[in-house]
Amino acid sequence: MKIIETLGLTRKFGDFTANDSISFAVEQGEIKAIVGENGAGKTTLVNMLYGLSKPTKGEIRIGGQPVKFNSPTDAIEKGLGMVHQHFKLAPGLTVYENVLLGIELRHKNLPFIDRAKQEQAVQKVIQKYHFKLDARAKVEDLSVGERQRVEILKMLYREVEVLILDEPTAVLTPQEVEQLIESLKDLKRQGKTIILITHKLGEVMALADTVTVIRRGKVVGEVDRREASEIQLAQMMVGRDVLLQIEKEEEDKTGNPVVYRLEDIATQNMMGKEVISNISLSIRKGEILGIAGVEGNGQSELIKVITGMMLSTRGKITFKDKDLTNSWPRQIRDRSIGIIAEDRYAEGLCDSMSIADNLIAGYHYRSDVCRHGIMQKKMIDQKRDRLIGECDIRMADKEGYVSQLSGGNAQKLIIAREFDQNPELLLACQPTRGVDIGSIEFIHKRILKLAAKGTAVLLISSELTEVMSLSDRIAVMYQGRIIATVHKKETGTTELGLLMAGVVPDLLKRKREVTT
Amino acid sequence: MTGKKSILLSLYNSILPVLAAFVVGGVIVALYGENPLNIYGIMLRGTLFSLKGFMKTLHFAAPLILTGLAIAITFKANVFNMGVEGQMLGGAYFACVLGFSLTGLPPVLHVTVCLLAGVAAGVLLVIIPALLKAYFRVNEMVVTLMMNYAIFEILRVLSQSLFQDPILGDVSTPSILPSAMFTKLGGSYITLFFPLVILVFAIMYVVIKKSRLGYEVTAIGKNPMFAEISGMNVRRKIMYMMIISGALSGLAGAGYMMSEKFKYTLTFSGVPGLGWDGMLIALLGRHNPVGILIAAIFFAALKTGADTISIFSDVPKEIVGIIQGVMILFLAIDFVNAQTGWFKKMTAKMGRKGAQA
Repeated sequence: MKIIETLGLTRKFGDFTANDSISFAVEQGEIKAIVGENGAGKTTLVNMLYGLSKPTKGEIRIGGQPVKFNSPTDAIEKGLGMVHQHFKLAPGLTVYENVLLGIELRHKNLPFIDRAKQEQAVQKVIQKYHFKLDARAKVEDLSVGERQRVEILKMLYREVEVLILDEPTAVLTPQEVEQLIESLKDLKRQGKTIILITHKLGEVMALADTVTVIRRGKVVGEVDRREASEIQLAQMMVGRDVLLQIEKEEEDKTGNPVVYRLEDIATQNMMGKEVISNISLSIRKGEILGIAGVEGNGQSELIKVITGMMLSTRGKITFKDKDLTNSWPRQIRDRSIGIIAEDRYAEGLCDSMSIADNLIAGYHYRSDVCRHGIMQKKMIDQKRDRLIGECDIRMADKEGYVSQLSGGNAQKLIIAREFDQNPELLLACQPTRGVDIGSIEFIHKRILKLAAKGTAVLLISSELTEVMSLSDRIAVMYQGRIIATVHKKETGTTELGLLMAGVVPDLLKRKREVTT
Repeated sequence: MTGKKSILLSLYNSILPVLAAFVVGGVIVALYGENPLNIYGIMLRGTLFSLKGFMKTLHFAAPLILTGLAIAITFKANVFNMGVEGQMLGGAYFACVLGFSLTGLPPVLHVTVCLLAGVAAGVLLVIIPALLKAYFRVNEMVVTLMMNYAIFEILRVLSQSLFQDPILGDVSTPSILPSAMFTKLGGSYITLFFPLVILVFAIMYVVIKKSRLGYEVTAIGKNPMFAEISGMNVRRKIMYMMIISGALSGLAGAGYMMSEKFKYTLTFSGVPGLGWDGMLIALLGRHNPVGILIAAIFFAALKTGADTISIFSDVPKEIVGIIQGVMILFLAIDFVNAQTGWFKKMTAKMGRKGAQA
């Protein structure tokens, strides 16, 4: 029986379609994985299922009945529970208090909470589902994995039939991941239906019965896990269809001098977990090195380290034989390195500042726009007009804020700003994410042109097609490491797909042994 | 949003609360049996439309312009120096102590020394929360706010002991020497402190609107991640902003001491104090230098107008306090709205309910 079904579910944010007519179904008692890259629209989808946001169009059916949720309370009433990526717990309270928050059990005759009854009730649920937890423990004393179990318990206590877990393993250690997988399997045996949102394919293969793949807001595949492979899923997630074929002159750059080098770079996240390790790579003058990989395999952290937004805990970065390890963004730019930030609106631009102000950001202290500490408005406006023309940035009001620009034009603004400095090295992070096809083409051409003039380019992108069409060499990241570096000419999507899933083909292993 | 539209919108957002406050004030005036328009007329004539009255207004506006700027410059960077009042008092006290203890200095030198001492005191007092904020991530709002009370009490103790005026025997310091006073110009209220404030205002205008620092502060306030990746040292810039804010506060206090009060008493700053007024002024002027200038003059007019009202009518001068209070309320609505998008959510909710009905 289909417990959940969606029909043509669409969610728009302004002009942006986050979910485009998604139709999928979840069978009762199965574990369904919804996979896709960051920004593919997974979270939007489950938010609609859980009543956190409303569909623009389409229908949700539960047990065959169309439903309309105004809030999570409605969803829980219909038997849908969600475990969020970021826990929503009160650390100072005990496990049972957290579970019963909002639905406390009262004394029969007195207007007070009956603690003993509460504790018993929660302990009973813990036993029923074989959770390793003490109902009386304080949440602040629990490990991350235990806290997550409390979250799940909250939902189980409310007798939901369907559990939605949003990236449940993102914060867990490998051991905790295993425990979670066991718990979830146990829940399934007890008849619960589970929806798992993730981009980690290993867990999908270990847990799911069926898999729905989402890319750019659309369902691109429905597969039975037994018939699927990690490689196939990885390819579906990143998209195999080539949008644009780019004319790229093949030129041997192995003779050029190395300008940028990372040696054994590693860093830790806030929790002290090493998120990238042993990253070593080098880029020659005029060469484009692409970094491919399924998102969440350490690319973001690597970007942060090389752009000066995060400290590396080990290793060395050199640019033209001079040390650049743990430099400030300004020092990096002063060495003639252009930065295209990963997140356009959070880092690359400030959408409540004017277009001109954004076009000088990062270079605003240079003498062409700023003299004796005073911004030269006339020169800034001239620069703006010139760059708008050169890059064909389209807008309603050139004095207005950046917020008026479409995604593609906003990205072109960043390209205009960084390329205008003629950098010797370009750190291009997700340069075309969420951008229309016309702008993609423009951006790709500009990157190739820049490289042809001798700029070394490090291209980090989750679009495999982009990496394939632009790069001279491709490094693949998997679980925080570079597991292989291959020449574009000597590889294909199949091999890259394998690498992205963490499988190093034998042939490549042998090749590597020979070269190292 | 285009530039013109946003100017219109902020004008509307500033003027509406003021008008609303005057309407509420008018109702209360009417309860006293007076014609509100008449009363407001008296007030305006006495403060803005007579030369003498206007000079007096400008005189009282001078410290308010500075405290308003002191608030605005930190708020723009999204840090909150709530301790302008305390820093202002500290500045005033330093200036005062040097004003009565240094003897035999020529007036120009004495005035300069006292003003600089005021600035230094303001900076010293703001450096504590600024360092705590930059290096230990201590919430600057709490520290600066609480320091106001600490400073006030310390100054009270000092005025009762070390620096007490032996003749008065009250909680008061001796008066500063004439050589440390700003002299009134041509029989009017105004002193040279006002042109000095206008000069500082002009500099701050350039800093906020035209300078690299102003550009960076705007970026930090609007999007700190963007600012950081654009090569701005966010921590250092926040320190600068706090220091400038403290300096402006200290100067405001020193100037007010040397041009109006001449000695420190517990009522030096009035109720609400100059620092608190500055907060309202910054809010009313939308953190825009010109807006602050206008708002400060308007505020000074309200304060000086209070006396005129009580002289010429039965309405007590506290009516001005009521108008100010109501104005704060209305401005706060808009401030909260800007921070939380509350109005949008409300209208969206009502729209949804309307659609269902």
